[in-house]
Amino acid sequence: MKFRFSFALIALLSLVLLVGAGCAKKSTSSMPPGATKVKVEDKSDYSEDTVGEESQVDESTLAAEARKEAQARAVEEMQFRIHFAFDSYELNDEARMVLGRKAELMKEFPELTMVIEGHCDERGTEEYNLALGERRARAAFEHLVILGIEPERMSVVSFGEERPLDSGHNETAWAQNRRDEFKISY
Amino acid sequence: MKKISLSLLMTALMLVTSVVFAAAQAPLTVDIYGPGQKLVNMTILPPRTLRTGRAIPVTAAEFDKVVRNDLSYIPFLKDVPMSQLLGGDPSKGVKGSDINFKPLQLAKVDLVMTTGWNGSNLEVRVYETFSGRMVVGKAYGQVEGKLVTRVADRFCSVLLEELSGKKGFFDSPIAFVKQLGKTKEIYTVLPQGRELTRITKLGGFNLSPTWSPDGSRVAFTHIGAKKHTLGVWDSKTGKITLRNNTLGQLVVSPEFLDNERIAVTLNKTGHSDIYLLNKEYKPVRTIVKSSYIDVSPSFDRTGTLMAFTSGRAGNPHVYTLNLKTGALKRVTITGKYNTHPCLSPDGRYIAYTHQTANGHRIFLHDLKTGREKQLTFGPGSDEYPAFGPDGYFVAFASNRSGEYKMYLTTRHGDTPKKLNTGNGSAFAPAWDTSLQR
Repeated sequence: MKFRFSFALIALLSLVLLVGAGCAKKSTSSMPPGATKVKVEDKSDYSEDTVGEESQVDESTLAAEARKEAQARAVEEMQFRIHFAFDSYELNDEARMVLGRKAELMKEFPELTMVIEGHCDERGTEEYNLALGERRARAAFEHLVILGIEPERMSVVSFGEERPLDSGHNETAWAQNRRDEFKISY
Repeated sequence: MKKISLSLLMTALMLVTSVVFAAAQAPLTVDIYGPGQKLVNMTILPPRTLRTGRAIPVTAAEFDKVVRNDLSYIPFLKDVPMSQLLGGDPSKGVKGSDINFKPLQLAKVDLVMTTGWNGSNLEVRVYETFSGRMVVGKAYGQVEGKLVTRVADRFCSVLLEELSGKKGFFDSPIAFVKQLGKTKEIYTVLPQGRELTRITKLGGFNLSPTWSPDGSRVAFTHIGAKKHTLGVWDSKTGKITLRNNTLGQLVVSPEFLDNERIAVTLNKTGHSDIYLLNKEYKPVRTIVKSSYIDVSPSFDRTGTLMAFTSGRAGNPHVYTLNLKTGALKRVTITGKYNTHPCLSPDGRYIAYTHQTANGHRIFLHDLKTGREKQLTFGPGSDEYPAFGPDGYFVAFASNRSGEYKMYLTTRHGDTPKKLNTGNGSAFAPAWDTSLQR
């Protein structure tokens, strides 16, 4: 038994010596002259837990991206205009539908705020049109407040006949120009 | 008995002859304000030298040009060229005694003007050809350089005052809105097309300029990206202050009630009402309110009567409000769209835009008689009527040429004369009426 133990010890020692001699030999030969030695270490720890965590981060970015995309789509949809009859600031059924959808989106994306711009066609006179444009913007504003949107998130401004969408001088152009525009910011 | 009748006859005859003589001696006056207004023919004689042997200065031609241009804006004055006179120049000098009035009378010329130069000293006279009476006689010294146009303007003002009884036409600037690319800025110009000056450089839209009664300030609406602001320009310092601390999102159609207070349309309660601002530009009370649009106030010189546009009857119409008695009166009855009233400084007439199937036209309403008269006839749209300081001239903007430009007519609806405002569309004239106060 004693013999066995000492034999094993000798064998181990010789192995250590052998390995040590081999390594020394390698190190002197593998480094080219003038090269610097760089310590390469890998401290990664591939435990089960961390793998799980990383896949979670990925999913939330994806979700954020998806939301961002949805928000961009919403912003685009929220800019849909509504139109009015001549010398009128009454919301027609279509306008109410468009505003209803805007309200849904405003609730879905509470970070969005909105400037409602009222516009008129060129047929009226300037000062009356400025007042009329404001009434058009305010009609949309008030409808959205009724639908539950916080008034602080919206403001109104009238441009009267100053910013026509269509510069034509016919009924098609005028109908296009009698409108509310919705400028979204976030 | 026979003796008595003879002496009676003699006295009667003498009385008649003296009346006839008196009638012949009374000066001819031209009533340009009357309904049967007539055209006055005027000939401007070539300049003369006052000292023989001394040449007429080159400035004489410039003076002549400026006077002709100025007078071309007076609708009732017609320039008759000297070539239409029999025998050419009917004068030997500049004084009445040097002029042969006969060929002028024959050519139906009512007024004749002479100019005499002695170096930079100038004498200008205007005579009535029928009676030989001197209407205006003025002498000016040092008429050189930039002073030439100023002297010409001043002389024309004096002549117009003599003919119409009112002054200030050629010295009263018009503030207006000019299109510059996609923005609109405010300028001033004299009605004869000189001294075009830009007063705002704010970007966005600067609209509805209006003068304070003393001509020291111009208030206007400034529209930025998100709201309206009240702008006030000081003519002495050239400085602009923008105010919107308590006014809200809508600041439309400002108008000075007096030198300190401004009336303006604001929306503070859900509907657009006309508010009175104090001298700190803060709203103190409403002047008119309804659940409809009330806009475009215009005051007479005393600040007692206000004309404005209101949608309270379903469509925009012109109303007046007496600020002392509170009496409200609807002025326009016909049509569906009557807006932008301008009250004459004496409070008798309202010029406003009436929408027709072919665009807007300027109409005049006489508050005393209730009569209406169409002043402009297009084509295109005639908008923004504005009375001059004497309540006789009416400036307006029209796109009759395809582009909005300013024009001048009178309350009789004389042929409009285009005002020179340079390149770009011109809108919303507002006349400084301080010289008539």
